[in-house]
Amino acid sequence: MRKKEYFADSEEASLLYREEFRDMKTEEPEVAPSPEKDKFEIIGKSTSRIDGEKIVTGRAPYTHDIKLRGMLYGKILRSPHACAEVISMDISQVQSLPGVKAAIQLKKGRVTYAGEQVAAVAAVDEKTAEQALKLIKVEYKSLPFAVTEEKAMEEGAPQVRKRPNVQKFNEYTRGNIDKGFKEADFVLENTYKTAVEIHHPAETHGSVAKWEGERLTVWDSTQAIFGVRDGLARALKIPASRIKVIKHYMGGGFGSKLGINDYTVAAAMLAKQANKPVKIILSRRENSLCVGNRPSSLQTIKGGVKKDGTLTALYLKNYTSGGIGRGDYCSEPVVDLYKCPNVQVEEHSVFTNTGASRPTRAPGHVQGTFALEGFLEELANKINLDPLELRKKNYSTKNQGDKETPYSSKGLNKCYQLGAEKIGWKRRNKRPGEGNGKVRRGLGVASQIWWGVGRAGTQADVKLHPDGSVEAICGTQDIGCGTRTYMATITAETLGLRPKDVTVKIGNTEYPWCGGSGGSTTTPSVAPAIRDAALKAADYLKKMAAEKLKAKPDEINITKGKFSNKNDPVQSIGYKKLIEELRKERKFRREKVFHGEYVGRPSGFAYNTFGAHFAEVEVDVETGKVKVLKVVGVHEIGRLINKITAESQIIGGITQGVSTALFEERIMDNTTGNVANPNFRDYKIATSLDIPEITPLIVDTVDPRINNLGAKGLGEPPRIPPAGAIANAVYNAIGVHVREIPMTPDKVLQALKRKEVD
Amino acid sequence: MTNFKIAEPQTIDQVTSLTIDKKDKYKLMAGGTDLLAEIKDEIIEPEVVVDLKSIPDLSYIKKEKNGVRIGALTSLARLAEDTLIKNEYPALHEAANSVASPQLRNMGTAGGNLCQRPRCWYYRDPQVKCRKKGGGRCFAFRGKNKYHAILGGGLCYIVHPSDLAPALIALDAEISINSPKGNTTIPLTNFYTLPKINVRKENILAPNEVLREIKIPLIKKEEKSTYSKFIERGTWDFAIVSAAVKGTVSGGIFRDITIVLGGVAPVPWRLTKAENIIKGKKITEDLVRKATREALKEAKPLEENGYKKELAEIVLYRAVLSLL
Repeated sequence: MRKKEYFADSEEASLLYREEFRDMKTEEPEVAPSPEKDKFEIIGKSTSRIDGEKIVTGRAPYTHDIKLRGMLYGKILRSPHACAEVISMDISQVQSLPGVKAAIQLKKGRVTYAGEQVAAVAAVDEKTAEQALKLIKVEYKSLPFAVTEEKAMEEGAPQVRKRPNVQKFNEYTRGNIDKGFKEADFVLENTYKTAVEIHHPAETHGSVAKWEGERLTVWDSTQAIFGVRDGLARALKIPASRIKVIKHYMGGGFGSKLGINDYTVAAAMLAKQANKPVKIILSRRENSLCVGNRPSSLQTIKGGVKKDGTLTALYLKNYTSGGIGRGDYCSEPVVDLYKCPNVQVEEHSVFTNTGASRPTRAPGHVQGTFALEGFLEELANKINLDPLELRKKNYSTKNQGDKETPYSSKGLNKCYQLGAEKIGWKRRNKRPGEGNGKVRRGLGVASQIWWGVGRAGTQADVKLHPDGSVEAICGTQDIGCGTRTYMATITAETLGLRPKDVTVKIGNTEYPWCGGSGGSTTTPSVAPAIRDAALKAADYLKKMAAEKLKAKPDEINITKGKFSNKNDPVQSIGYKKLIEELRKERKFRREKVFHGEYVGRPSGFAYNTFGAHFAEVEVDVETGKVKVLKVVGVHEIGRLINKITAESQIIGGITQGVSTALFEERIMDNTTGNVANPNFRDYKIATSLDIPEITPLIVDTVDPRINNLGAKGLGEPPRIPPAGAIANAVYNAIGVHVREIPMTPDKVLQALKRKEVD
Repeated sequence: MTNFKIAEPQTIDQVTSLTIDKKDKYKLMAGGTDLLAEIKDEIIEPEVVVDLKSIPDLSYIKKEKNGVRIGALTSLARLAEDTLIKNEYPALHEAANSVASPQLRNMGTAGGNLCQRPRCWYYRDPQVKCRKKGGGRCFAFRGKNKYHAILGGGLCYIVHPSDLAPALIALDAEISINSPKGNTTIPLTNFYTLPKINVRKENILAPNEVLREIKIPLIKKEEKSTYSKFIERGTWDFAIVSAAVKGTVSGGIFRDITIVLGGVAPVPWRLTKAENIIKGKKITEDLVRKATREALKEAKPLEENGYKKELAEIVLYRAVLSLL
């Protein structure tokens, strides 16, 4: 038995991650792809973002920038109570305020967190809309609440949902845990804690809705245009075919924009009522309350190890809180990252009266990796073994959690080697905390496993025009990862053109279907689909060129805008010339669309991405302040598609990881029921001065069967290990593991006191 | 945010007369970096915002024979860049340079920095009516108080957020206040008041009074000063603990020394007891730490802010030793 679902109404977003990656089986491809033999000229090199200039010069249109004729501005009234019954609501007064064009009640019954939406208005400008909110009269009966995990877990605590506040949602067993502990020479047990984080994308959430008769167009800051379309169809009870969702550019989502949002539905309803377009943009404060968070975790790990470093047992008990939503599965690293015959897991959600969690860049894995990797560090010290050796000693070539299925490819050993060389692993303190002085240095490592497969059914078109111009089209969205750029690169590579010769069209549900951009799925979905379409276009052109060159199509080579005979390279025809002649011969007079699809990958293999991060830190042992000096992030992601944007992903992941390790924590107040720090003053994120020297490295191997390019995803992997690596480096520096993130000075000072007691 | 009117006075006298009949309904604005945030968050809802920047000639740094005069509307950026300040009053230079970010230092002013409101998250929560906002309790006392006061609390546990204030008090600065009753000059240290005097205010300024100028006396021979600010991240943060130290020092001994802590109390906190212990003795790390501990015996940390006491000891001994 693999997993047990306890909830009848599991949150959609969590399911998206869970089912799509672990449990989803795809169609067998008719012909297994064999991408290793392909040699590329552009793919794998650095191609600057084709839209980079537009973005940095402020000309790229974001949802915040959308302005339509007659557009109104919507604002949402939110519950000031963490738990209350809405006794009555009167929205009739708002229409008396000049400029107010629509008002709707959104909530009846119980509100279960402060910030839950209860009503909305639309007016000619934002200020009028804000004033209109004050005219809405809501009578609440406030009820007892629990906004912290501690409070919610107390005996007799107010019940947050219609079920106990603490509920098991996952258990897993392999082997026999007690046997494993008996076989061990050492057994260790520690508890690790991680805070609730908020996604806080630079661009706050927002939508613009416009009706034309029965048809609805929505501009949305989203990671999933089709998800928004289908969600709107369900919420508004209209056919999906009447809804168009557009997203050109966006300033980050990190998992918080993966589906339909209640404010988007509100915008559509207000727009209908007012018969005018309505724009709703959430404030930073609203972003702190009601559009998701990364669940906290309290993880106890008990593990057994032999003197030589062989793991014999790993046990994890996790209490994780995602507010009124479910906590995260944090057990994946414990189950899959290292070879261990006896593993047992139980995970519990703790419900609190706070906004529901949403997937947050590598959900569960960030928390789980921090705990597991910290634990391994302490275990290595216990048996006096180099922590890197402990990891290598328990290297696994099979995905043990997935019925011992062999990995299709795994380059983690190579990551260890490259990273250790680059950081200078030998410089680490052989005994944690052995250094002297007030400021001490340390080195730490953490590894990572993630999925990184594509979503079967992803479609893309390559369109050839009779004038020779080319379009690459897919209903995907670029959430900042360079999707446009690699669509151009792959199409150009396949057709022997340059990336700038290709016009890329994305971000519109009228284009071929593509799933949401979450779970590091976008590249391994879109890249093979567009490659498939481009290969079909290339086949057509090869056939035409073959006729001209009196050769067979498979004898034709395409490079640098030229079609030539492999056997006699002097025989060639240029791309432009070929198209021109075809047009004159009336063979190519209308646009030709070549449809590509990513259908799936062979079963019998586990498809995962791997990486290892090495961090160097400096800790002031008097003040408890940690400074991260260096992070080397090494990743194995199958074939590298675009070096420069892949490196950017790693740098971005580490930047966020440093912030997680040292600063980020949503603080709830038990008295008021409110978020104490719903702003960037009190919710601290890393500043540019906190970012260390970052070295991104990529192990460029080609997965032999995952797709026609051999490429895996990279969105989440670099976000996973930094906090673990940094915490381990702190341990190496000061000789005590802080066991809690963020490692703020007060917590480091506390840990140092624990060391004195030990 | 509620609607408000903007008043653009041309002289300080216009401010005092303008505001005389509109008690509590108007707010004076210098750089606006704090005031506008308070208005947007609906912490305050003034009818009139009086833009002091429309008054000419309130931005200056002038050296005269008795010392330096700084206009209240001098930007923090200008203060941080000024060579005279940097050379003669390093504590003030360092304090100005440590405020927020370059953008905020460009907008923020010296006078505004001294008069800014606390950043206590209960005070800044529009849904919370705490004692400082006319309510009946201090939510920090039994609430989330990691960043709150360990000294001088009681009715209210805010910490004063100003970086300039501890530095200027250590430098014996005075301020000139324009008031309808006439103009006065007082030591800056007398400007700030504890919650027990008036829980709703942090200083003695009446609504119709304007802080116009800061005066710092000439530096003495062998006088040195420094401002050391401990924050949680690399930059752009309010002090967890800060220490301003000024003294005349030679041969490793302070003949006189002034120590003012920031980030620990509702007002900049003078550490007279520690000064007395340190004065005239050969400075060692140990001596300063003992002196701080002695002086902080009266501290009453709340549940989550006890670490500030430890930090104060570290920040202060490092600041004092840096002047040797």
